[in-house]
Amino acid sequence: MTWLLEAYTDRRTYGALGYLLVGLPLGIFGFVVVVTGLSLGFGLLVTLIGIPILVLTLLFVRGLAGLHRQIAWSMLQAPIPRRPDRRVRAQGMFWQRLRELITSPQTWRELAFALASLPLGVIGFSFAVTLIALMFSGFAQPIITAAGVETQIGTWTIDTLQESLVYLPLSLLFLLVGPRILFGLGAVAGRVTVWFLGRIGLNDLKVGVVQALAKDGELDGFAILDQLQLRFGADAHLSPTRVQAALLALESNGQVGVRTGATGRLYRLGEQT
Amino acid sequence: MDEFREMAAREREAKRIARRQWFWLHFAVYATTQAFLIIIWALSSATYPWYIFPLFGWGILIAAHAVFAFVVKTPEEIMIEREAHESSNPR
Repeated sequence: MTWLLEAYTDRRTYGALGYLLVGLPLGIFGFVVVVTGLSLGFGLLVTLIGIPILVLTLLFVRGLAGLHRQIAWSMLQAPIPRRPDRRVRAQGMFWQRLRELITSPQTWRELAFALASLPLGVIGFSFAVTLIALMFSGFAQPIITAAGVETQIGTWTIDTLQESLVYLPLSLLFLLVGPRILFGLGAVAGRVTVWFLGRIGLNDLKVGVVQALAKDGELDGFAILDQLQLRFGADAHLSPTRVQAALLALESNGQVGVRTGATGRLYRLGEQT
Repeated sequence: MDEFREMAAREREAKRIARRQWFWLHFAVYATTQAFLIIIWALSSATYPWYIFPLFGWGILIAAHAVFAFVVKTPEEIMIEREAHESSNPR
């Protein structure tokens, strides 16, 4: 019982409710703009006007994903990674940045999320509104009946005060379990958002590793993982396997050198030692 | 062996086991539901075999899940395994 009622005092429950309610308008907005932009862009591709429209659509998708990340992080406390420094990401000339935008797997994942956010928003919003209705309809029904409004359930008409109490047990039950269900729905929504938008690309990881080594000189794998967690935030798909893969990639192109110390492999910038 | 690499190897093994356990749980739910639907079909008029639609529809998802659980590897896993293979078999 305490576990059920604790959800009322947890601000994440209200965050989850807000996230589920905001998800529908945001989902509609994103879906409409993206589908219109893609259709218009591909349709006008032969006239070359389509190219800037497609690029603008991808830039919109990136901005929208940023907004979703902010909302998921602030409302659901979802472990969304901090994006790498804009100066590092936006290096190079216009064409290099355009190439980065098009070739980055993150862009396509963000596009998929912009399209998926409409059905996800509809599902989340429907669950949230249904739950709220179930929680409060039992208390609203006597007021509605007292106001002289008749309610139909199949062939049965609710028109007396006694009959209007029919929803009350259901509402009492949902007042008990509803916040906990909302909490769970918020957790699921957060996981979906993190799955789409909370990944750190291998290139970003490599940049993080190089900067950690540039700052601290020589580090072992554990220290590099700690540095990356400080940079991107803990639990943001930062696993030892991914760090090992980033180190392997940097080792293979000679950006990182390695020597064996007392506790294991020690990494530093520069030549292989 | 390097302690960090050992931890990474243990992490990959734990994820592999978890992926397979989730698949078997999914398969158990699938098998139970399909058996239930077939029983309903057999106990009812047993005319048109409508149970094949969920059997094959959900079956496609089960097959995809099996591929994910037993075959698919992440790019990071492939990189690490290739490196381990190359270091154990130097050219």
